[in-house]
Formats: sequence, structure tokens, C-alpha cells
Amino acid sequence: MAELFKNIVNLISIIAIPAMIAIFVVWAVCKKVRVYEVFVEGAKEGFTTAVRIIPYLVAMLFAIGMFRASGAMDILVMLISPITDLIGMPAEALPMALLRPLSGSGSLGLMSEIMKTYGPDSFIGVLVSTMYGSSETTFYVLAVYFGSVQIRRTRHAVSVGIIADICGMLGALIICRILFGV
Amino acid sequence: MLNHIWAFLIIVSLITAVGYDTYDEMQDTYQNGKPFPAKTFCKPTFHSSSGIKGEVVLEPEEFQQFYGVTANVKECRLPISLFVDSTGNGTFLLELSTDAPKLWKTMAQSVSATEQLRGEVKGFSLGKDGTNGNCSLIFEPIHFVKLKAITNAAMSMATTAVEIALGLIGIMALWLGLIKIAEAAGFLTILTRMLTPITRRLFPDVPPDHPAIAAIIMNVAANMLGLSNAATPIGLKAMEELNKLNPKLGTATNAMVTFLAINTGGLILIPATAIAVRAAAGSNNPGIIIGTSIVGALCATVAGVIASKLLQRLPWYAMDKEKGDSEKSHG
Repeated sequence: MAELFKNIVNLISIIAIPAMIAIFVVWAVCKKVRVYEVFVEGAKEGFTTAVRIIPYLVAMLFAIGMFRASGAMDILVMLISPITDLIGMPAEALPMALLRPLSGSGSLGLMSEIMKTYGPDSFIGVLVSTMYGSSETTFYVLAVYFGSVQIRRTRHAVSVGIIADICGMLGALIICRILFGV
Repeated sequence: MLNHIWAFLIIVSLITAVGYDTYDEMQDTYQNGKPFPAKTFCKPTFHSSSGIKGEVVLEPEEFQQFYGVTANVKECRLPISLFVDSTGNGTFLLELSTDAPKLWKTMAQSVSATEQLRGEVKGFSLGKDGTNGNCSLIFEPIHFVKLKAITNAAMSMATTAVEIALGLIGIMALWLGLIKIAEAAGFLTILTRMLTPITRRLFPDVPPDHPAIAAIIMNVAANMLGLSNAATPIGLKAMEELNKLNPKLGTATNAMVTFLAINTGGLILIPATAIAVRAAAGSNNPGIIIGTSIVGALCATVAGVIASKLLQRLPWYAMDKEKGDSEKSHG
């Protein structure tokens, strides 16, 4: 059942982009749109949008990079672990929960490392890969998306992102406990 | 909020780095200036004017005693080049292999960002058989490891940020062009009409047939399929469309925050990266996390959307709490 689901989704993923391109172009040609001209008209925005993101992304990534390099994460883990112990979050998985919203490449490296130490099919291994797989790099997304439209006052966006991340990590913990619990 | 978190990250990293470095100085973690007693094994054939090539035989107990650590150290042999005069004094270059102690790797990274350690050799002498010798190694003094590390991280991440942004240019252009075609052909209107019952509730401030809705739908679909190359450009297009409805440029709207809540929830049908890492680590069932990941992401997404709907009413987060700058920021 899971295998079938995986195969179907993989198939859709492979077909999706070529199909989308084909449908858009064929549809537009049928509707007598000057496809080439319209495409170029839209595409010329690509450069400015990408370049507009740079200051926001630099600000976000360099602060997170410093934070990770300073070793402050270890101290944060030490401070938070008494609380997370109460809800049964293994101490080994806590760095992952904290790092996932901050750094995509960092949490990917951490996941591989934990997998190597505890084994991919151990409870910790499954939990950590679920945490990685079920979440996005929140702060990166905020920087890129808001940066592209020059939003500096983010209002409740950061609080919402953090609440969502906490709930996602707790959800991952609970479902892993139910299905593969120790 | 973002201002505070940003300042928090920077200030905390500075304080932590200074704290760690002060601790290292006080504890003399790196035993600066003290001679490390090393047993060397030299291949006799390699004696030449360009130095003596050999290997340092690292014994865990000796290492732990010298640095006063209890960390696990593997017994290993590390290649070393000795450049000594007739009295046995001179300099050395030690290559750190994968088995080398972590402490030495940190030291090497801090000094030269390589896997090599340099320093002075004292009293090198070969044994009678001409292969086994003894000497003292004095490593280059190591100071301010963490301060150097955060400086390097700040510089390299700034470069990375630009690389990421520039890497987006091509696929941005591709998808913005395609979406423009779809828009001109009226395809987007059809797409939005199908999902109007849902989108009207999620984004009450956005007209149901607005191009933003189409871009949001396509972004969420691309994200769920794991097509990040398509998802980001389309998502940025959605932000641009949402920004056209923004009465106060430079400030986020309710619709934007709800959209980002869905986006950062990270709902994905097949977490391909995590599965690949599991497979590489030798898992018997790499795909076992598909179901659990979907549950986790659903929790995050639902919580995010609810939180965005609740928090947007708080006076603290009101749109006109802070001054807008609609004149300046329209770029």
C-alpha cells in the first residue's frame, strides 16, 4: 500500500513539470496567445526578483551561520532539554528540532550524523528523519519570500512559523512514539 | 519579532564565542607551547633534502593524558613531514587523516582551514634501526577558536546567500515566463475556480479569481510533489501578486502570513531527501517515514494556519501599528 502510494507520487512528480509546460503552451497556442513574446515578457522579471532577495538572505543566513559556529546551539540544547525531557523528547533528537527551522544544509548534515551514530532504523533515526522530512527551513523561506517583495515588517509571520514548527516537531514525536515507540 | 530574533542570534553568538574562548584560555585546552611527546615511524627510503617523511603513531592514552580529556580517540598513524637539522630541531607538517582526534582537527581548522597542523620539532632522533624515532612536537599556538569560527561563518554565509539568490535567476525566469503564458491563456482562472471553496476561507482578503490564488495553488501543489525548483519561483510570483493587494508596502498582509504558514509547514508527499539519506545509511526500510512525515507536516500546517488566523487579530500585530513606508519601498 505504502509502496503503491510512493510509486504513484513519484510518477506524478516526474510527469508534473513537462506536463505543466506542455499544457500551458498548447493551451495558450489554441487561445492564440503570442506565446514567445508573453514568455519573454514574464521571464524578464526573473533577474530582478532573484537579486531583490539578496540583502534579506544575507542578513538571515549570516546571523544563523554565526549562531551555529559559536556553539550556542549546545548551550541552548542544555537549557531546553529539562523541559523536553518531560514530554519524552529524546535528548539526541533535540538539536534536530532546534536546527531544522534555521538551516537546511545544517540539519541535513545533522540528520546524516545522527543516522550514522544510532542507525537509521532505531527510534531516534526514524524520529530525526521524520522531523527533517516533515518540515521546511522556516527562516530561509521567510527571508526569501518576504525579501522578494521587500517586506521588512513581518508582523505575526515569525510567531506563526515558530508555533507551526513546534507543533510539527511535537506531531512527529507523537506519531513516531505511537508507531515505533519505545 | 524578527528584529529581536535577529539581534538575539548575533549577540548570543558573540557572547558564546567569547565565553568558549575565555574558557579555552583558562583551561589551556590546546596546551599551547607544551611539547607533545611523539613516537614516529619513518620509512628509511624517504630521507631526503626535502624533509623526512614518516608517520606519527598516536596512542589514545597518551593523547588523553596530554590534553586532559576523556574523549574517545582512535589509535592511528598520521603522515608527518619533518624538516630538521643535525641537532634534531626544526619544523614539521602533520597531515590529519579521518581517524585523527577531533581536537587536532579543530586546531587545524582554526589555524589554516585545512587538515594540516604545523609547528616546531625538538630533539628528533632515530633509533638504531633507522626507522623508529622519538621527538617532541610543539604545535602552533591556538587562540580564539570560536571567534575565528564565527567570523568565517559570517563571511562564508554572506557569499552563500548571494550564490543561492543568483542560482534562482534562471529557474525564476523560466517559471515567471510560463506563468505569464498560463495567465494570458486564461488557464489560471480555471485552476482557481475549482478550489474557490477552500481558498475563499483561507484568504478572505484576496478576490477568489485573483492571479495570486492560482500561484498559491500551484506553489502548494509543487511543494507537495517535492518540486522545489518550481515551487520557489511560483511561490515568489504568488507573493508578488499578494503584494499588489497590499495597502501598506513593506508590511506583511494577513494573506501573506497565511500563505507562508502553509508553505513553511512543509507538506510533502514524499520526503525524498530524508529517504535518500536513510537509504545511504543502510536502512532496511527507508520509506517508512513517509506516513509519519505527512502527519508531522499536517500538524505544522494546520497549527500554522490557525495561528495565523488568531494572531492577526491581536493589536500587537495590527497592520497600522508601525508606520508603513509605501512611498519608499515600491521597487
